[in-house]
Amino acid sequence: MPDTVQPIRFGSNSGQPVSRRDGIAKVTGAATFSADNSPANLLHAVYLPATIARGRVTHFDTAAAQAHPGVTHVITPANRPDVQGDPEAKPTLFSFRVEILQDDSVRYAGQPIALVLGETLEAATEGARLLAPQYAAEPVATDLDDGAPFDIEPGGFGRPQGMVHGDIDAGHAAARQAIDVTYETPAQYHNAMETHAIVAEWDGDRLTLDVPSQALNMSCAAYAYFFGIPAENVTVRSPYLGGGFGSKAIPIGPNILAILAARMTGRPVKLMLTRQQMFGPTGHRPATRQRLRMGIDATGALTALDHESLSASSRFDDFFEPASNASQGLYAAGALRSVHKGVRLDIGTPGPMRAPGEASGAAALECAMDEMAHAAGMDPLEFRLRNYAETEPGTGKPFSSKALRDCYLQGAERFGWDGRPLDPGQMRDEAGLLVGWGMGTALFPCPMFAAEARATLRPDGTALVETSAADMGQGAWTSLAQIAADSLGLPLDKVAFNAGHSSLPDGGVAGGSGHTATAGTALHEAGCDVIRQLGEIAATDPASPLHGAGNARFVARDGHLFIEGDDSRSEPFTDILARAGGAALTGSGKGVRPPEVGQEFAMSSHGAVFAEVRIDPELCQMRVTRLVGAFAAGRIINPKLAESQLMGGMIWGTSFALHEKVTHDRTTGRIVNADLAGYHVPVNADVLGLEVITVHEDDLHVNVLGVKGVGEIGIVGTVGAIGNAIWHATGKRIRRFPIRIEDLLTA
Amino acid sequence: MKITFRLNGETVTLENAPVTATLLDWLREDRGLTGTKEGCNEGDCGACSVIVTDDRGAKALNACILFLPQLDGKAVRTVEGLSGPDGTLHPVQEAMVTHHGSQCGFCTPGFLASMACAHLNGQTDYDDRLAGNLCRCTGYTPIIRAAEAAASEPVPDWMADAVPEAEGGSEYAPSNSDELARIYHAQPEATLVAGATDVGLWVTKGLKTLDPVIFLGRCEDLKTIDVTETEVRAGAMVDMERWRAAMADLHPSYAEMIRRYGSVQVRGAATLGGNIANGSPIGDNPPALIALGAVLHLRKGDDRRSLPLEDFFLEYGKQDREPGEFVEALSFPRQADRLRVYKLSKRFDQDISAVCGAMRITIEDGRVTEARLAFGGMAGVPKRAAHAEAALRDEAWTLETVTAARAALARDFQPMDDMRASAAYRLDAAGAMLARYFAEDQGLVTSVLEVRA
Repeated sequence: MPDTVQPIRFGSNSGQPVSRRDGIAKVTGAATFSADNSPANLLHAVYLPATIARGRVTHFDTAAAQAHPGVTHVITPANRPDVQGDPEAKPTLFSFRVEILQDDSVRYAGQPIALVLGETLEAATEGARLLAPQYAAEPVATDLDDGAPFDIEPGGFGRPQGMVHGDIDAGHAAARQAIDVTYETPAQYHNAMETHAIVAEWDGDRLTLDVPSQALNMSCAAYAYFFGIPAENVTVRSPYLGGGFGSKAIPIGPNILAILAARMTGRPVKLMLTRQQMFGPTGHRPATRQRLRMGIDATGALTALDHESLSASSRFDDFFEPASNASQGLYAAGALRSVHKGVRLDIGTPGPMRAPGEASGAAALECAMDEMAHAAGMDPLEFRLRNYAETEPGTGKPFSSKALRDCYLQGAERFGWDGRPLDPGQMRDEAGLLVGWGMGTALFPCPMFAAEARATLRPDGTALVETSAADMGQGAWTSLAQIAADSLGLPLDKVAFNAGHSSLPDGGVAGGSGHTATAGTALHEAGCDVIRQLGEIAATDPASPLHGAGNARFVARDGHLFIEGDDSRSEPFTDILARAGGAALTGSGKGVRPPEVGQEFAMSSHGAVFAEVRIDPELCQMRVTRLVGAFAAGRIINPKLAESQLMGGMIWGTSFALHEKVTHDRTTGRIVNADLAGYHVPVNADVLGLEVITVHEDDLHVNVLGVKGVGEIGIVGTVGAIGNAIWHATGKRIRRFPIRIEDLLTA
Repeated sequence: MKITFRLNGETVTLENAPVTATLLDWLREDRGLTGTKEGCNEGDCGACSVIVTDDRGAKALNACILFLPQLDGKAVRTVEGLSGPDGTLHPVQEAMVTHHGSQCGFCTPGFLASMACAHLNGQTDYDDRLAGNLCRCTGYTPIIRAAEAAASEPVPDWMADAVPEAEGGSEYAPSNSDELARIYHAQPEATLVAGATDVGLWVTKGLKTLDPVIFLGRCEDLKTIDVTETEVRAGAMVDMERWRAAMADLHPSYAEMIRRYGSVQVRGAATLGGNIANGSPIGDNPPALIALGAVLHLRKGDDRRSLPLEDFFLEYGKQDREPGEFVEALSFPRQADRLRVYKLSKRFDQDISAVCGAMRITIEDGRVTEARLAFGGMAGVPKRAAHAEAALRDEAWTLETVTAARAALARDFQPMDDMRASAAYRLDAAGAMLARYFAEDQGLVTSVLEVRA
């Protein structure tokens, strides 16, 4: 950062629980989501999902569909217009191979196999139904046991790299006690409340898209690739996303088909997925099976932590859940190993879903840690503290900051962990229900991607800051504006923020819990750039009280520029600008992490989650009655937003532990519960006591803001905490998620 | 057909309302009111919730499975109509911003409709009021906080909705059961639409074309509940929310099951007759009603007949109902409350039952004098457990008897394995319900909901 500006670590805006700035738009129905757009002359597109999981389409009743009143076009592999890009290619980071009717093959149930356009949604829907496809179906494999496991060839995104630190065989040999346990996690689908939707409109070779996007500019580049136009010809408008959770970062096949249809017809085209289609070409968290082998010495110290995960992927692309990576950075162990294996099934390609890797991996790891603690006769918290990593396990790198110990202690105190019986089945409430307490540790990395931003200080003393940030609910409209206002030394209400539009400077990716850090740093730098320029003007302006202060550092505060440490010399921004000719000042900034910082430090958010369950001993119905999560995630820009992000994550953990799972029909390969009636997410009544504590961390290394990220970590420790609480209540160790009543009845 | 309703305070008359167009599609596609969202289009998520007012008051309903003709003579308020004409926010809107109850914002309009409706009606049981609205972001806690914060604020005057005169008078919408009997007798191929919580899905998901359709919503004489000294009688069009209220005093265990069986949006639309007539093996009302000894009253033209409810269900997908015959009412004897209803589902609230068991066992001098055990989810139809009942009848009311009756359940039922539960689990759980009945009768607390930390 420019050395003339004082780093602003706790400004008057950041750290405040400001209500979300888009709140009123959202509560009045005025916030416009993609499918709310209906330009004139609109055509509706509906794609037909395959009802087999493997084979070929042998026949469509195209004539029947075409003859239906209101149907304008029927597009199948036989007549699909050309696209310029290769559907097998991956034009950007996070891209996957797409199904855009390139041939008649079916690779999973729910794959788009035809597209019908109509003057109304009803006509297009009916036209798609009338296509009545016939298939040559082949036997399908949808279960982890249905395929042959293989070692994953590491290679970047979706193909995780295994790791070994120390001598793992020696670690196993040195163990005085050991466990060897296997856990399973199911396939889960994101199911943001807003289904995927797109409105595509061409003007010559320029394309405008209303589409929810977690990465606006990257999406532009990807869409441009498929249609052979420069990225700058594509405009993505995505002011609000109705949730993303990883599924809206990159183009999906149906979106490309909608754009193709718009180009073919010369009319705007809208395509909105149904809830059922959200279990199709949208990515998902793949099923895993994880084997954990651990050993401890006589003192309870881990001699070996050996984590092997098997992940499903599709037959035609690579995304393997990096589950065993969850064991890499958390506990001090004499030797560490993580191994990744894969199996190919007749399913859609998985993808990143909230806390990819860590959510599934920690579910297994944290339960296994409890099993090891119990074998050692130790309290689960004491056992984790016994194996607390003061430096990054394996590498020995220092942590940029790590307040996990405080998370443990504050969380345990709030929960009332003291006095927990070591053995299971010891606690009953006054009504005779089984009560259990469990805990889990949470860890999530704090990556930064790359972002750019622009700040403009106007002569009237207000500012406009701009970046193509994405707000999928986490609160970018608000927290990023708070950061920007601090960097400019202005009250929040004097800063207008423009985001959610790809024509703005590239706001990067809203994913990986890195958006606030990345786009925030860019905005901060842009603001600082403006203030630096303002300082130069003032210092060289003989009429300014700041004249001649060229070697001093300036501080911006409440619309005034001060000399650091000398409050007697200051001047309002407006006066400086007015004398300089009344023009606005524009600055720019980038948000990236210098590579050397990543080499020097290990950087993660941490947390500890404590859970209480109550279980009916007769029927084994389970209720999570209390959850307390304590999280250390660097500096919290907006506690109101952050707390809610963490609570939302913990509910995802509850959902993972007890609810979410897709079930495939083993014969057809179709998902039998592809709707919100059968694919359960918690309702309000499932959520009883829920409490979040944020533990302060002042991190000087992660980025200039000290921001780590809170989007994903909430889910991570919660799953294991609930599994452990169920064990503690019943003495039954269920090693398959979600934990079901019948698992307890039959265990 | 021609209908008139009020929309956010403004009178709307549609000369040719498409019979099976949903309110949600009409709002979004025709009216340009896109604040109301589509999250699932089948009544599972509540993103499309709106407030619908009729002579009985205001209730939150799912617009995605509400056909336009059902609105004739009613008033609708969407998220766009919650703030005042001058833009003043409704207290629940204000509180949702302040308490951060809206994150991504997609579920927010539906939550607000449910919250504003509860606020209007003075209801503060928010966990129930909002159990039919799914949120994937917030963890719900901030939404509940918002609802609580707004509770003490007065209801804004613009929320008072007057109800317009219904157009009525159409062959599609008889105004009483005599008209219905005549019309349906003349065209027995017609589809009867009561609350549309099931039939709605035939259209939105099954893509069926329903023609002709007869809407029952204006048959006020089918909406009566009569409780006398000797009998309880309910018309087929009594909605589940009213039925729950009626059962709360008479048979509270049944009322509690109704609370869990569907969201307020579903309960406000779904009807007692619909839940019986559709013949689902997992409808939750029939087991309870069979246990109560209910009699079903059917009508075809001017002919009426009655039969024990259990005899109505012949086999999976087949009921003892002739073409042109409809469910008119249901009755059961007034009785001391010995009924317990247990609903077992994967998710606690708003989920389809794996097993729903209803039991009424009367004891005199320590012996069982009567036992009626009925189960849903255990067979192709809601069904009584004849062997288990026989194992109880005239026996001493002891754990041994209950254990023997549990064993007899295996002779009554051969349930199936499916996604919701395994056959073995269903059988085991059905037996556990009987054990639970016994335990409760001995004075033990057995419901997880009654537990207090």
